[in-house]
Amino acid sequence: MADLANRPLSPITALGASLPRSQIHGALHLVENAGLALASVALRHGAAQPVPFGLALPEAGAWATSGAYAALWTGPGQWLIEGEGLAETDFAAAVLAACPGCSVTEQTDGFVAFEVISDAGEAPILALMAKLVNIAPDRLRANMGTRTGLEHMSVFVIRRAPERLAVVGLRSAAATIWHALDTAAARLAP
Amino acid sequence: MRLSGGEIDRSRALRFTFDGRAYEGHPGDTLASALLANGVRLMGRSFKYHRPRGVFSAGSEEPNALVTLRSGARAEPNTRATGIELFDGLEARSQNAWPSLKCDALAVNDLLSDFLTAGFYYKTFMWPRAFWEKLYEPMIRKAAGLGRLSMAADPDAYDKGFLHCDLLVIGGGAAGLAAALTAARAGAQVILADEDPCLGGRLRAESETLDGAPATNWIAGLEAEFASLPNLRVMRRTTVWGLFDHGVYGAVERVADHLPTPGVQVRQTLWRITARRAVLAAGATERHIPFRNNDRPGIMLAGALRAYANRWAVSPADRVAIFTSNDDGHRSALDLAAKGVEIAAVVDSRAGARAMGDYRLLAGAQVTDSRGRLGLTSVQVQHGNGAEWLDCGALGVAGGWNPNLHLASHQRGRPVWDDTAQAFLPAMLPAGMAVAGAAAGRGDTAGALASGAEAAVKALADLGFTGHAPDLPQTEARSHAGQALWHVPGKGRAWVDFQNDVTVKDIKLAHQENMRPVEHLKRWTTLGMATDQGKTANVTALAVMAELTGQTIAATGTTIFRPPYTPVPLAVLGGGDTGAQFRPRRLTPSHAWAQAQGAVFIEVGQWMRAQWFPQPGETHWRQSVDREVLATRKGVGICDVTTLGKVDVQGTDAGVFLDRLYANPMASLKVGMVRYGLMLREDGHAYDDGTCARLAEDHYVVTTTTAQAGPVYRHMEYARQCLWPELDVQLISTTEAWAQFSVAGPNARKLLERVVDTGFDLSNEGFPFMACANMTLCGGLRARLFRISFSGELAYEVAVPARYGNALMARLIETGADLGATPYGTEALGVMRIEKGHAAGNELNGQTTAQMLGMGRMVSAKKDAIGAVMSRREGLMAETRVLVGLQPVNPEDPVVAGSHLFVQGAAQTTENDEGWITSACYSPHVGSGIGLGFLARGAERMGEVMTAANPLQGQQIALRVVPTHFVDPEGERLRG
Repeated sequence: MADLANRPLSPITALGASLPRSQIHGALHLVENAGLALASVALRHGAAQPVPFGLALPEAGAWATSGAYAALWTGPGQWLIEGEGLAETDFAAAVLAACPGCSVTEQTDGFVAFEVISDAGEAPILALMAKLVNIAPDRLRANMGTRTGLEHMSVFVIRRAPERLAVVGLRSAAATIWHALDTAAARLAP
Repeated sequence: MRLSGGEIDRSRALRFTFDGRAYEGHPGDTLASALLANGVRLMGRSFKYHRPRGVFSAGSEEPNALVTLRSGARAEPNTRATGIELFDGLEARSQNAWPSLKCDALAVNDLLSDFLTAGFYYKTFMWPRAFWEKLYEPMIRKAAGLGRLSMAADPDAYDKGFLHCDLLVIGGGAAGLAAALTAARAGAQVILADEDPCLGGRLRAESETLDGAPATNWIAGLEAEFASLPNLRVMRRTTVWGLFDHGVYGAVERVADHLPTPGVQVRQTLWRITARRAVLAAGATERHIPFRNNDRPGIMLAGALRAYANRWAVSPADRVAIFTSNDDGHRSALDLAAKGVEIAAVVDSRAGARAMGDYRLLAGAQVTDSRGRLGLTSVQVQHGNGAEWLDCGALGVAGGWNPNLHLASHQRGRPVWDDTAQAFLPAMLPAGMAVAGAAAGRGDTAGALASGAEAAVKALADLGFTGHAPDLPQTEARSHAGQALWHVPGKGRAWVDFQNDVTVKDIKLAHQENMRPVEHLKRWTTLGMATDQGKTANVTALAVMAELTGQTIAATGTTIFRPPYTPVPLAVLGGGDTGAQFRPRRLTPSHAWAQAQGAVFIEVGQWMRAQWFPQPGETHWRQSVDREVLATRKGVGICDVTTLGKVDVQGTDAGVFLDRLYANPMASLKVGMVRYGLMLREDGHAYDDGTCARLAEDHYVVTTTTAQAGPVYRHMEYARQCLWPELDVQLISTTEAWAQFSVAGPNARKLLERVVDTGFDLSNEGFPFMACANMTLCGGLRARLFRISFSGELAYEVAVPARYGNALMARLIETGADLGATPYGTEALGVMRIEKGHAAGNELNGQTTAQMLGMGRMVSAKKDAIGAVMSRREGLMAETRVLVGLQPVNPEDPVVAGSHLFVQGAAQTTENDEGWITSACYSPHVGSGIGLGFLARGAERMGEVMTAANPLQGQQIALRVVPTHFVDPEGERLRG
């Protein structure tokens, strides 16, 4: 009995399925990014700013990448570190090792990440943004990110590229966020 | 009658009905133009007197031609026929008439008009007082009003969005086009919005040429250039209806209103446009000249008559007359005559007026009356040679133009009277706004074009762009001379405000009754209210009042405007958030599993939590809840408690920080242990409770109640950033990151031993009450374990990364079947915490103190903390009410939360109130109802029987005061 009880558990995605959800509406592809690992980093008093995984931690409003890793500024001396495809690893431990003397907290399952990719350049992304978030396009160009309101929820939006937008929001609200993205994208589809 | 030319597509016919009768029109028609083309002048009945009314204008200022558009759930009352684009299959019905539009029974009101004057209701329905709410008001409301709602749910979807621009141009007429062109060519981000489906504004209504060609040629050229400019967004069918703080404009785009049904599209979109600068180029609205019986179908604004002829190729009649006080009225006569309409005469109030073409001119004359029951047949003209009746089917009235300056007033800017322009002009403009064209009193085409370009150049300069006025087209030289004529004196009723049936006589009465200030005038007469907001009436009414008081119009002043400029459906303001999408919904990590078990869910804030898990055969929620409670106390129960707030606190000063935040000490907490904590507000009252777990010297995880998760985190951030920035502390919420489950009951340890990885000591010695640890379970999955209890049983809370929560819940139930493992919901959770005497939201309601909660000694005197000093103030220390348990003397009696406690036999008055019941439930453990409550001197009154009064339900229950712990008062179970 004990052996059976102790066998590994199977995870589910934020949308409650075994596989990430995806949907195509015209030029826009919506994909649930279940593999994204997240950890928060905060500088302690007097600590030097680290360079985890070769990442130059960005300034306010910016997002930086280095290979599979990325960082978003979330507050003075605070960042959200992303590890693409590393959700099943102990990412916080890896980040802590790369940020000695910092306060690091595991956030992988604190959030759900949805990637929106356009195969027709940035225009569909800008049109979608106009329906979702009150941010001027020039304040969310490529390699920029910010925290904002979306359908009465607080989310991070990251412009990974001109034709790519990520929406990172509360994991518990994944279905509501998906509904908002899916509805808006469907309405923009020709 | 149809005329030649116009912008209608005669190659296609569109069928539509009005009051059930079939007609045909063409693409490009509005409902109003199509009805006029079919000889229909009578389109509605007036609000109060049920007078026959026809279309009065050609735009969104329309006061008369309000119809109910479409049918069934899509029926939309009070829609302006002048703004409805005709589509095939359109259905419209007239309003405010019974049994028919032509024969309306309530037209009897017109005969009683001497009684139904301004202020009639206020004066008449004064007594008996009680009758107002029950009889008079319902009766009046039934008799009055315009269209009626379908009362069916709106079947269409609505959307919202956000736009940002350097320059927002409001209005796509001559001034707006010039402004948008100038700014877009300079490279600025520009939005050009117009309520019409076509750009051009009044240019489309005029016969005036630009560069010697029809204005539509110039507009077409511009549209081609606009399409090539990616920095210019042209928004047709979009009304900018309000200006709000910080340069945010509200706009409604009518995405699908011109289609029979929206299909897959949304019907309308609410846009919030953040504009660094704006040019208001909303044009002007023509004013009329009140004269006796000036409201018959066929009497309309002269500019509208001209617009119908030029743009929609239609005239309400084949013989028309014009009544004007200015040269502009003559242009209507010229344009109509050019289209073959017979001009009966141009009646010009100016003695020296000259004809501008080949028509009969009656200078120094005034229209003094009209005839025609359901439509105009003739007008009476008073001139130097006496009075004469002129046969005509339509009369165009031209009294000058009022700038559409509404949006300039939305931030309290008060317009100023300009004697030269004979109009109120915008003044005290909102930050970033300029006004151009007719809205600024520059109604001539050349002036409008130039002022639009000038406004754009100035806005561009402010924003750091270099803009140049474009080459603007040559316009025709036209005279705009005029002399104000505010009304034609005489007997009878002369309407000022058509929509509210306000006449010159009503204004005179308001004057007589001392309702002279403009704000009083408006409210006493209802002038300027309802869907048109008095666009064709306000200024005329002020002028009439000025005449009566002997003051100038400037001294009389004007009311100002609020959003919306034109009516905005509540549906689009809602932005489509209806039903399940009304607000965000948060699901717990084990939601899918709970749903599969048939759990009943309850909304807790935004969370959906399992309330109980019905089993086959259970027909009442109490059966499920009692079973869950007993199963937990006998075996082991599992509950998803992820919703409790979790905040990660790190840093070298984490302990000091928490010491200052919590009333009780936290810095002294040993690593690997948990402590219950109480936070106070600055004023000394209890704020929130929870636990602090110390995972390392510089690392705590604190929990909050579900309801206060957000506010407490905010409070902590405030303390960190603003109160004690010198402390080395870092905070971040981890509520969502970890799925957390309460595993409670005598078999809790046995169950957990089956899932935790070997090597972790769960024994009472190895992991005692209030211990915590990082560990692994199910073959290496990192987890956290806390030995804490809300139920009073041997209990743990186990946390795993949220994605594993669903599987862990299923595993615990499956693995613990032989141990009696049972899922329990929030209801059983609540019962067990009341049985154990734990305070929750009902007790921590913002009005209670640590002392009242029996936790007075937790407020440490050895250190300071937020609220500690204030909790010791005299007023709070003198409070004698403390938390007690309550049990019915008769076990069959219920205990009702909210009941107030009285000494038995005492009068149940506020003075005798001894306290109240905060929480109550049926306790399957005790076998009766139980409760918690605050009772004066409660600790001294154990065993006393009180009366719990519940006046709402007429209950008087005898309750015995008992300790708050109904189970295991010694706490042996949770330490076992």
